[in-house]
Amino acid sequence: MVDSHDRSPVRSARSGDIAVIYASDYLNKLSGERIERECRAHLGAGCRALVVDFKNTGLVNSIGVSIMLGVIDAAERAHAPLVFSNVNSQAAQLFEILGLTLHAALAADEHAALRMLSDLNVAHPQRVPVGKHT
Amino acid sequence: MSTDNLFKAAPAKRILGRIAPENFIGRSEALREIAALAPSTSPRRGLLVHAAPAAGASELLRQAYDKLFRQRGGASPIYFAFTRHEQTIAAAARRFLHTFLSQLVAHRRGDHSFVNAPPALRDLIDLADPSDYEWVERLVLTYERARDGSDELALVRLCFSAPVLAAARGARTVVMLDEIQNIEKLRGEVELGNEIAQVSMHGDVPFVLCGLRRGLLDELSGGNAPHRFDGFGTIHLEGLNEADARTLVERLAFTERVAINDETRDLVVQLFGGSPFYIASFMYAAHRDQISLTSFLECQRVYVDELLGGRINRRFNSILEEITPSHTTRRALVRLLHEAATNAGGKSPVEAWRRRLELEPDELYPLMFALHVRELASFNATFMEIGAESLWRDYLRASYRLQVAVEPRALVVADTLVETLKRAPQTMARHYRRAAALNLRELLARFDAQRVAASLLHYDRFSRIYRGVESEEIEIGLDAETDLIRLPQVVHAASCASFHPPMLLVGDEERCAVAHGFDAMPYTDANEIVWLTAEIDSKLEAGRAVTEVWCERLTQVGHSCGFKRFKLWLVAPEGFSAEASELLSERDAFSSSRKQLELLTARLSPEATEVGATGADAPDEFEMVIPMGSDTELIAAHTVEQIARRLDFPAEAINQIKTALIEACINAAEHSLSPDRKIYQRFRLESDKLVVTVSSRGLIVPSPTNAGTNGSDAREENNGRRGWGLKLIRTLMDEVEFERVDDGTRLRMTKYLRR
Repeated sequence: MVDSHDRSPVRSARSGDIAVIYASDYLNKLSGERIERECRAHLGAGCRALVVDFKNTGLVNSIGVSIMLGVIDAAERAHAPLVFSNVNSQAAQLFEILGLTLHAALAADEHAALRMLSDLNVAHPQRVPVGKHT
Repeated sequence: MSTDNLFKAAPAKRILGRIAPENFIGRSEALREIAALAPSTSPRRGLLVHAAPAAGASELLRQAYDKLFRQRGGASPIYFAFTRHEQTIAAAARRFLHTFLSQLVAHRRGDHSFVNAPPALRDLIDLADPSDYEWVERLVLTYERARDGSDELALVRLCFSAPVLAAARGARTVVMLDEIQNIEKLRGEVELGNEIAQVSMHGDVPFVLCGLRRGLLDELSGGNAPHRFDGFGTIHLEGLNEADARTLVERLAFTERVAINDETRDLVVQLFGGSPFYIASFMYAAHRDQISLTSFLECQRVYVDELLGGRINRRFNSILEEITPSHTTRRALVRLLHEAATNAGGKSPVEAWRRRLELEPDELYPLMFALHVRELASFNATFMEIGAESLWRDYLRASYRLQVAVEPRALVVADTLVETLKRAPQTMARHYRRAAALNLRELLARFDAQRVAASLLHYDRFSRIYRGVESEEIEIGLDAETDLIRLPQVVHAASCASFHPPMLLVGDEERCAVAHGFDAMPYTDANEIVWLTAEIDSKLEAGRAVTEVWCERLTQVGHSCGFKRFKLWLVAPEGFSAEASELLSERDAFSSSRKQLELLTARLSPEATEVGATGADAPDEFEMVIPMGSDTELIAAHTVEQIARRLDFPAEAINQIKTALIEACINAAEHSLSPDRKIYQRFRLESDKLVVTVSSRGLIVPSPTNAGTNGSDAREENNGRRGWGLKLIRTLMDEVEFERVDDGTRLRMTKYLRR
């Protein structure tokens, strides 16, 4: 069940040069902006790859998804690979319809995302294969 | 709408009131002020009631009369109206005395039957209270002698000083004189207005002097030395505010058994600008003709009937007949008024009026002044400007076609109906835009030299510090900011269009404001400043192009109006892009998003919000109303999930329905300027499908392809990242119908069950 009044800030963790940002229960405008802000902060702090984890996300809306496009842009400008993990079927369908999967990879879970990024040389970043769960 | 529980109070007895007291809406403060004159300890000597036309001033005095009459043992209420049909000052004075004595005796005997059917003057002597008998008899006998004499002034003074005489004998009254503007056309040598002013100021009797606001003081003025009316209070009576007007429509609909809905109720309010007279006339007409008012078409039918043949038509007819008794002149006047109304700006030179009406100045000026006093036109020394009220203009257009162009009535009726029906959505749209506007003017007026956090007026800074931050944290951050801006003390705020009419062509009047003020003390040229503000439509951050356009527009207003020092302040719902912020910084302009504006407003004056409710209907049909915003679409999504489970939809389909519903709710909230900020949902389960209907009231925000004035450029800067809602819904659901209804939009989505 999604808590519609979750007021907790976006959590994030750092694993070397990779930052993992944990999306909240509902990806909407505000939570999307929080994720974007957190991603930009990590990129500004020298992060070289990003994972946005949607393990706790039950529902998404198109405004939240549109903000994820801003995250993709920011990551691309910083040449930082970006992976979305734990995307449920509803969100995945929206990501697909709205074209996010053309620009970012999907991973089954956080570990898979980190594995995917560690398989790449993050110090010499290259584009992560996109559109498929690993 | 349920109105059944609203009106359970026992009806109070009506004497002069034309409508039931419980239907007399929005005037409680004015009523209280009049009633407060009754005690001899009242600090006021009287009241001047400056009334807008058709604002219900007479009904206010009539209701006040009934209220005072019911207060047994207090001052006796007296109501007297100067009518259009009275010919002479002497006749008015005679009728006043008769009315005064009848109503005084009625109140002191507690028998209101004399009020509407006054006995003969001589009979009133016998009917008077024993304590009044002597002075009433003497007054009547004195009056009979004066009536038969030739001294008009003595007669007028005797009649209008009767309340003072009564008070001296212990019979206190509250004298309400209505329609004082009608004194102007009474024949006689006496300056009646001046006499009334003298009595009301110098006697120990409270007077309520009521008339049209453009004529009241002129009638009461004392030549070169206008009366000051010391000790008098003032009531400015205008149309009802929207909330009161809505209540009036609802109550009249209830008592007259006329079916309405929220949409038509609001249309009626807009059609008549809150005028209780017109609203009541309209609702009575619907009752008389047994027409239910549940669609715009039905409303406009009644409107056109009233306009062309009902009470509203008769009101305008009688005003024109009174102003121009000659049929030929009246016909020429209708032609002239209609032609002036169709001119740009509705203006025409006075000289043209003289030539067209073929009247001498001593006939022409009273005519123009009469139109001015009734606010059907404004007389500005060299030109006449026709009143902009759409009801009056509709009447003029129809009258011109019927009386001057002699077109077939059926054609005029049909055209008027079609035109007003086409205009109805525009009327509502304008209302919604007005209601949804940020009300910059009001906010500016509240600045009052207060200091606020600078980030509230710099979007780039605000965004950098607070983007994605919860409101509570923003508040804490703002409180902690040390960089403060001292807002000017605003002394006058008005729309941009009031200063520079071409601004009407590029945006709604409410969305652009000019505020004159001082940014420091003392009041000197150096400290004088003008703030020029505009609200830009933009779903995303406003881009540089649209920002530049608005900076240019406002700068042009500043230069055109000759403002020596001015400051620009632009507001866009989602703020401004980095490039736009750079431009604003170059121009030394302020910028705010809607969020900043809300925070600023709250800091200048806190306001509360309200949450909606839910409901249910039949077992296979569910209804729910949610307020817009605050993620309430999640409540809808959870609800539809429970409903879909009843029909054993698979999990994936349920997810699709939930997502589609979330998008529909967001769409409703984003794309309508909804007056009630509510989303109405209906879920209907059938054997093989779930039908979800999402409706909202209000104006549909135009799409980029038919963009309006304030935001077209901004939407082009959308980068295609928004406006996906409907596309998504179509992908996720099996059938989608989107339609515009009378007053808003309705989205019907169907998902079939595939077992």
